[in-house]
Amino acid sequence: MIDPVFQSGNYELARKLLDATALRHEAIATNVANAETPGFHRLDVSPDFAQQLRTRMEAGDLAATSSTINPHLVEDLNARSIRPDGNTVEIEHELLAMNRNAVEFDYLSDVVSGNLKQLRLAITGHA
Amino acid sequence: MNLLSGIDITAGALNAQKTRLDIVAQNIANAQTTRTPNGGPYQRQVVSFETALMRQSGSNGPGLQSVRVGTITADRTPGQQVYNPQHPDADRDGLVTMPNVNLSYEMVDLITASRAYEANLSVAKNARTMAMKALEIGK
Repeated sequence: MIDPVFQSGNYELARKLLDATALRHEAIATNVANAETPGFHRLDVSPDFAQQLRTRMEAGDLAATSSTINPHLVEDLNARSIRPDGNTVEIEHELLAMNRNAVEFDYLSDVVSGNLKQLRLAITGHA
Repeated sequence: MNLLSGIDITAGALNAQKTRLDIVAQNIANAQTTRTPNGGPYQRQVVSFETALMRQSGSNGPGLQSVRVGTITADRTPGQQVYNPQHPDADRDGLVTMPNVNLSYEMVDLITASRAYEANLSVAKNARTMAMKALEIGK
């Protein structure tokens, strides 16, 4: 019954992106852990996830189809190796990506949080 | 998906780097050891890492991989021979075969391992911050 109230586009979008951010953190953890494993290729969240979200957003049926769009991991094929062992992880790049990802997570959780607070305000009359 | 995303992956990496530090310590400690149970001088040990599948994120695509110590092998490079006829392990010509430990290599390895350890630690810290933030959603 409460479901329709939660189905605002922004809330749904932030929720999905939050999932992606958590998954990206796991990918970065994997990359940093394997920074010295020969032949390892860095992982990242698949770029077509964002594309799918955008398409659904523009079509306006994000809330209805959001359960079918899930982030998944792929090997980053754009990352080139400059090392003799064929590993494509650059530790500086990973740490920067991690910090960026953390900021993104903070922001998205604030958006989700704000949405819930608004809802509570609407129901109870006080935050 | 667990609360502290990727913490188990990082834990594996921290463990592997720590083993590497232990091996560096062992190599430095035995830099002058000319007698071992197997006979002959101490041989420098080298750690190699391998991936360890943690879990599959989806039905297809690559999984999340942690790292673990694959093998610890002996470096077969011959050690330096030093002329020291008084040494109990000297051969007939008075030459002592020293361990093939090179302190410069060990120091470089030490720094690399401790920096890698720090990098993984900062990933763990970040995971914690993110989890704390997630717990505050709606407050």
